[in-house]
Amino acid sequence: MLFFSYFKDLVGREVTVELKNDLAIRGTLHSVDQYLNIKLENTRVVDQDKYPHMLSVRNCFIRGSVVRYVPLPPEEVDIELLHDATRREARGG
Amino acid sequence: MSWAGPDDIFLSTSLATYLDKKLLVLLRDGRKLLGLLRSFDQFANVILEGACERVIVGDLYCDIPLGLYVIRGENVVLIGELDLEKEELPSRMNPVSEAEIKRLWKNCKLQK
Repeated sequence: MLFFSYFKDLVGREVTVELKNDLAIRGTLHSVDQYLNIKLENTRVVDQDKYPHMLSVRNCFIRGSVVRYVPLPPEEVDIELLHDATRREARGG
Repeated sequence: MSWAGPDDIFLSTSLATYLDKKLLVLLRDGRKLLGLLRSFDQFANVILEGACERVIVGDLYCDIPLGLYVIRGENVVLIGELDLEKEELPSRMNPVSEAEIKRLWKNCKLQK
Protein backbone atom coordinates (compact mmCIF):
# COMPACT_ATOMS: atom_id res chain seq x y z
CA MET A 1 0.00 0.00 0.00
CA LEU A 2 3.05 2.23 0.39
CA PHE A 3 3.47 3.06 -3.29
CA PHE A 4 -0.27 3.49 -3.68
CA SER A 5 -0.21 6.09 -0.88
CA TYR A 6 2.85 7.70 -2.41
CA PHE A 7 1.25 8.04 -5.83
CA LYS A 8 -1.93 9.42 -4.27
CA ASP A 9 0.20 12.30 -2.97
CA LEU A 10 1.48 12.91 -6.49
CA VAL A 11 -2.02 13.35 -7.96
CA GLY A 12 -2.20 16.64 -9.84
CA ARG A 13 1.50 16.63 -10.74
CA GLU A 14 3.00 16.31 -14.22
CA VAL A 15 4.61 12.91 -14.61
CA THR A 16 6.10 10.82 -17.38
CA VAL A 17 5.18 7.15 -17.45
CA GLU A 18 7.47 4.82 -19.38
CA LEU A 19 5.82 1.57 -20.40
CA LYS A 20 7.34 -1.85 -20.99
CA ASN A 21 6.64 -1.46 -24.72
CA ASP A 22 8.98 1.59 -24.66
CA LEU A 23 6.13 4.07 -25.11
CA ALA A 24 6.60 7.09 -22.83
CA ILE A 25 3.65 9.33 -22.02
CA ARG A 26 3.72 12.65 -20.23
CA GLY A 27 0.62 13.94 -18.49
CA THR A 28 -1.06 15.11 -15.32
CA LEU A 29 -1.59 12.33 -12.81
CA HIS A 30 -5.36 12.10 -12.43
CA SER A 31 -5.67 9.01 -10.28
CA VAL A 32 -4.07 5.79 -9.17
CA ASP A 33 -5.45 2.62 -7.60
CA GLN A 34 -4.32 -0.34 -5.52
CA TYR A 35 -2.94 -2.10 -8.62
CA LEU A 36 -0.99 1.08 -9.45
CA ASN A 37 -3.15 1.47 -12.56
CA ILE A 38 -2.72 5.09 -13.63
CA LYS A 39 -5.02 7.59 -15.28
CA LEU A 40 -3.34 10.53 -16.98
CA GLU A 41 -4.88 13.71 -18.37
CA ASN A 42 -3.60 16.20 -20.94
CA THR A 43 -1.35 13.53 -22.28
CA ARG A 44 1.25 13.85 -24.94
CA VAL A 45 3.51 11.13 -26.15
CA VAL A 46 7.28 11.53 -25.99
CA ASP A 47 8.50 10.90 -29.56
CA GLN A 48 5.06 11.56 -31.08
CA ASP A 49 6.23 10.81 -34.65
CA LYS A 50 6.88 7.21 -33.76
CA TYR A 51 3.33 6.74 -32.40
CA PRO A 52 0.96 8.46 -34.86
CA HIS A 53 -2.05 6.51 -33.55
CA MET A 54 -1.73 8.36 -30.22
CA LEU A 55 -2.17 11.79 -31.82
CA SER A 56 -5.70 12.53 -30.61
CA VAL A 57 -5.43 10.76 -27.25
CA ARG A 58 -5.66 13.34 -24.48
CA ASN A 59 -6.63 11.16 -21.52
CA CYS A 60 -5.70 7.58 -20.90
CA PHE A 61 -5.85 4.68 -18.50
CA ILE A 62 -2.61 2.74 -18.10
CA ARG A 63 -2.71 -0.77 -16.68
CA GLY A 64 -0.31 -0.97 -13.75
CA SER A 65 1.21 -4.25 -14.97
CA VAL A 66 2.68 -2.59 -18.09
CA VAL A 67 4.52 0.27 -16.37
CA ARG A 68 8.31 0.11 -16.41
CA TYR A 69 9.26 3.48 -14.88
CA VAL A 70 7.77 6.64 -13.48
CA PRO A 71 10.77 9.00 -13.52
CA LEU A 72 10.56 11.82 -11.00
CA PRO A 73 12.75 14.88 -10.48
CA PRO A 74 14.72 14.49 -7.21
CA GLU A 75 13.76 17.96 -5.99
CA GLU A 76 10.08 16.96 -6.03
CA VAL A 77 10.58 13.82 -3.99
CA ASP A 78 10.98 13.71 -0.22
CA ILE A 79 13.20 10.64 -0.24
CA GLU A 80 13.71 10.68 3.53
CA LEU A 81 9.97 10.49 4.10
CA LEU A 82 9.72 7.51 1.74
CA HIS A 83 12.75 5.91 3.36
CA ASP A 84 11.21 6.24 6.85
CA ALA A 85 7.84 4.93 5.68
CA THR A 86 9.56 1.91 4.09
CA ARG A 87 11.48 1.11 7.26
CA ARG A 88 8.28 1.35 9.27
CA GLU A 89 6.42 -0.96 6.88
CA ALA A 90 9.29 -3.44 6.89
CA ARG A 91 9.26 -3.51 10.69
CA GLY A 92 5.49 -3.93 10.89
CA GLY A 93 5.26 -6.53 8.09
CA MET B 1 -9.18 -0.83 -10.84
CA SER B 2 -11.11 0.73 -7.99
CA TRP B 3 -14.88 0.65 -7.92
CA ALA B 4 -15.94 4.24 -7.45
CA GLY B 5 -18.91 5.33 -5.40
CA PRO B 6 -21.27 7.85 -6.94
CA ASP B 7 -19.31 10.81 -5.59
CA ASP B 8 -15.74 9.85 -6.39
CA ILE B 9 -16.32 8.63 -9.93
CA PHE B 10 -14.38 11.60 -11.24
CA LEU B 11 -11.36 10.99 -9.01
CA SER B 12 -10.82 7.27 -9.47
CA THR B 13 -9.11 5.13 -12.06
CA SER B 14 -12.44 3.53 -12.90
CA LEU B 15 -13.10 3.06 -16.58
CA ALA B 16 -16.68 4.17 -15.99
CA THR B 17 -15.86 7.65 -17.31
CA TYR B 18 -14.94 6.04 -20.64
CA LEU B 19 -18.25 4.14 -21.10
CA ASP B 20 -19.84 4.63 -24.52
CA LYS B 21 -16.82 6.62 -25.68
CA LYS B 22 -14.65 5.85 -28.68
CA LEU B 23 -11.42 4.47 -27.36
CA LEU B 24 -8.02 3.36 -28.56
CA VAL B 25 -6.87 0.18 -26.84
CA LEU B 26 -3.20 -0.74 -27.16
CA LEU B 27 -2.44 -4.43 -26.71
CA ARG B 28 0.75 -6.11 -25.56
CA ASP B 29 1.31 -7.62 -29.00
CA GLY B 30 1.39 -4.11 -30.50
CA ARG B 31 -2.11 -4.17 -31.96
CA LYS B 32 -4.24 -1.03 -31.86
CA LEU B 33 -7.95 -1.57 -31.49
CA LEU B 34 -10.57 1.12 -31.67
CA GLY B 35 -14.17 0.94 -30.57
CA LEU B 36 -16.90 2.02 -28.18
CA LEU B 37 -16.48 0.89 -24.58
CA ARG B 38 -19.53 -1.02 -23.48
CA SER B 39 -18.27 -2.97 -20.47
CA PHE B 40 -15.26 -3.47 -18.20
CA ASP B 41 -14.26 -5.07 -14.91
CA GLN B 42 -11.57 -4.90 -12.22
CA PHE B 43 -9.10 -6.84 -14.39
CA ALA B 44 -9.43 -4.30 -17.22
CA ASN B 45 -11.28 -6.93 -19.27
CA VAL B 46 -13.14 -4.81 -21.77
CA ILE B 47 -15.95 -5.07 -24.29
CA LEU B 48 -15.64 -2.92 -27.40
CA GLU B 49 -18.55 -2.49 -29.78
CA GLY B 50 -17.90 -1.71 -33.44
CA ALA B 51 -14.27 -2.57 -32.92
CA CYS B 52 -11.69 -2.27 -35.65
CA GLU B 53 -7.97 -2.87 -35.80
CA ARG B 54 -5.93 0.05 -37.11
CA VAL B 55 -2.96 -1.41 -38.92
CA ILE B 56 -0.19 1.09 -39.64
CA VAL B 57 2.76 0.52 -41.93
CA GLY B 58 4.86 3.65 -42.37
CA ASP B 59 2.53 6.40 -43.56
CA LEU B 60 -0.17 4.00 -44.70
CA TYR B 61 -2.98 2.60 -42.60
CA CYS B 62 -6.19 0.59 -42.76
CA ASP B 63 -9.02 0.07 -40.27
CA ILE B 64 -10.08 -3.57 -40.37
CA PRO B 65 -13.57 -4.07 -38.92
CA LEU B 66 -13.90 -6.68 -36.18
CA GLY B 67 -17.37 -6.23 -34.66
CA LEU B 68 -18.07 -6.94 -30.98
CA TYR B 69 -14.89 -7.80 -29.09
CA VAL B 70 -14.15 -9.06 -25.59
CA ILE B 71 -10.55 -8.21 -24.66
CA ARG B 72 -8.88 -10.02 -21.79
CA GLY B 73 -7.36 -7.46 -19.43
CA GLU B 74 -3.92 -9.06 -19.22
CA ASN B 75 -3.35 -8.06 -22.85
CA VAL B 76 -4.25 -4.42 -22.29
CA VAL B 77 -1.43 -1.87 -22.23
CA LEU B 78 -3.31 1.38 -22.45
CA ILE B 79 -6.83 2.64 -22.98
CA GLY B 80 -6.93 6.09 -24.50
CA GLU B 81 -9.89 8.39 -24.96
CA LEU B 82 -9.91 9.79 -28.48
CA ASP B 83 -10.58 13.52 -28.68
CA LEU B 84 -13.27 13.73 -31.36
CA GLU B 85 -12.31 17.31 -32.20
CA LYS B 86 -8.79 16.33 -33.13
CA GLU B 87 -7.41 14.42 -36.07
CA GLU B 88 -6.88 10.80 -35.10
CA LEU B 89 -3.88 10.49 -37.37
CA PRO B 90 -1.37 12.97 -38.84
CA SER B 91 -2.39 14.29 -42.26
CA ARG B 92 0.67 12.75 -43.90
CA MET B 93 -0.93 9.32 -43.41
CA ASN B 94 -3.07 7.77 -46.13
CA PRO B 95 -5.65 4.98 -46.00
CA VAL B 96 -5.23 1.89 -48.14
CA SER B 97 -7.28 -1.26 -48.63
CA GLU B 98 -7.21 -4.21 -46.24
CA ALA B 99 -5.53 -6.41 -48.84
CA GLU B 100 -2.85 -3.78 -49.43
CA ILE B 101 -2.06 -3.20 -45.75
CA LYS B 102 -1.82 -6.95 -45.12
CA ARG B 103 0.62 -7.25 -48.02
CA LEU B 104 2.71 -4.35 -46.71
CA TRP B 105 2.59 -5.75 -43.19
CA LYS B 106 3.85 -9.15 -44.34
CA ASN B 107 6.72 -7.53 -46.26
CA CYS B 108 7.55 -5.47 -43.22
CA LYS B 109 7.66 -8.58 -41.00
CA LEU B 110 9.83 -10.48 -43.48
CA GLN B 111 12.35 -7.66 -43.54
CA LYS B 112 12.77 -7.66 -39.75
